[in-house]
Amino acid sequence: MQDLQSLHTAILSGDAKTAKSVTEQALAAGVEPLKLVQEYMVPAMAEVGRRFECNEYFVPELLLAARAMKGALELIRPLLIASGVQPVGRVAVGTVKGDLHDIGKNLVAAMLEGGGYEVIDLGVNVSPEQFVAAVKDKHVNIVALSALLTTTMPSMKTTIEALKQAGVRDQVKVIIGGAPITQRYADEIGADGFGDSAAGAVGLAKKVMG
Amino acid sequence: MSTNYFNEIILAAPRRVALPIAVYPGLALTGATVRDVVTNPQAQFDALAALEERYHLPFVLAAMDLSAEAEAFGCTVDFSETEVPSVNGRLVTTLEQARRLSVPQPGDRRTAVYLETVLRLQGLPNKPGVLGGCIGPFSLAARLVGVSEAMEMTVTEPELMHTLLEKTTHFLSGYVRAFREAGASGVIMAEPAAGLLSPASLAALSSRYVRQIAEAQEDARFALVLHNCAAKRLHLLAVLETGLKTFHFGAPMEIGSALKEVPADVVLCGNLDPTAVFVQLSPAEITARVNALLAATSDHPNFVLSSGCDLPARTPLASLDTFHAAAGNLFPPAREAKKKEGFHKI
Repeated sequence: MQDLQSLHTAILSGDAKTAKSVTEQALAAGVEPLKLVQEYMVPAMAEVGRRFECNEYFVPELLLAARAMKGALELIRPLLIASGVQPVGRVAVGTVKGDLHDIGKNLVAAMLEGGGYEVIDLGVNVSPEQFVAAVKDKHVNIVALSALLTTTMPSMKTTIEALKQAGVRDQVKVIIGGAPITQRYADEIGADGFGDSAAGAVGLAKKVMG
Repeated sequence: MSTNYFNEIILAAPRRVALPIAVYPGLALTGATVRDVVTNPQAQFDALAALEERYHLPFVLAAMDLSAEAEAFGCTVDFSETEVPSVNGRLVTTLEQARRLSVPQPGDRRTAVYLETVLRLQGLPNKPGVLGGCIGPFSLAARLVGVSEAMEMTVTEPELMHTLLEKTTHFLSGYVRAFREAGASGVIMAEPAAGLLSPASLAALSSRYVRQIAEAQEDARFALVLHNCAAKRLHLLAVLETGLKTFHFGAPMEIGSALKEVPADVVLCGNLDPTAVFVQLSPAEITARVNALLAATSDHPNFVLSSGCDLPARTPLASLDTFHAAAGNLFPPAREAKKKEGFHKI
């Protein structure tokens, strides 16, 4: 079995193949799945976020690290579920209705997943009804809304209204982000949190969940 | 590279020039939709002419639409009445597809709308300079493979990306030439996706190709203005590797610091946030932001006050009026009043 530190290194360098192979070997050797997540994967993605924040990493490096982490996590997640280990939280992520841009949403999903959250990626052009369904059916703690266009920003408000009308607004925290989004807009539409950087997504999620 | 037409005007201006990237707010004056502007040269001309009549600026800038060139390559595009079109799906997913991809001709599909608009703008009564608009080589290549995927491919499939970049560069070299032939004195080339890369990758995957496009132009004074609304201060040297003399930056750029780093004959434009300032702030707040940026750049004649990107259609015309008034652009209502006071230098 390879040194487990190589899992951390593989995620940092965006090497999905090695990340997966080390994880497979570790699991076969009887290493606790939660140990892999807590001691190697989460710290690796936290380091990726740190490097992104201080301009050592850029969007390509962040996406590749996320892909490596995701590949390893796919092997581990069924084992965690089987042993009753709960994620830090469950987040439904999506770009709001009318908006097809996915890069910001992908970055946020990657950081949250790397922070130990279970991410339900609803994709792009997601209707308010789809977000409501995710809250009801998947029991998410957080709904994360992304928008790049000024014309699709109102869909964030519509989604929050739909959550209220469905009677589930109190069950979830709503966080929003995207190029045209500001704290002022978040306050205006009654969102619980606003993020101006993907790297801050984990901190924001923790903050709104208390 | 010698000074271009745009820089000549800016560097010789007796006062700070304010020039936002604003076409879509002109729809409030003409009643057309965004879809009209990006598909009909007369609708685009009308919006620009209405704004020109209102603000009397030294240059008019054709609409920024980063889908027309991708559509010419064969991408599917979604249109909206209120928002600029966006590319839907991926045209290229493999190296083989990249190699087989045909390069379109300038004027194919909706690129004809932009060339025709520039041609018509030559007829504006005040004869302002006209800048055409196009996408940059990396941002175009990214649209062909998907922007998110392109980011990863810069590392995992560099050959595919360079294959596409050679084709987008070839197309854009001809397209920019076609703008000049249509009467433009320059082109503003938007390269936002490159701002998401590291400086080294930006230099290798964007600046190198932008430089080739510039060198392919027969008139060295034709102004190629590179717009990058995602670039930060740390990208500046990599952006300067294009060899260009005029740059337009978005809100992430520290303009004051950047101005200290560039030679005096390099003009920087920017960078008030289109939404956070023009759409969301009150007139008093916009005035304060304009004043702050003017103060931060007051030592640099090589600066043009502008929005950090193109203003969305929902930008209140009152915000644009406030911006110009705060900048000292005396558009007609104020101009008449100020005539009595003589020239107002800021």
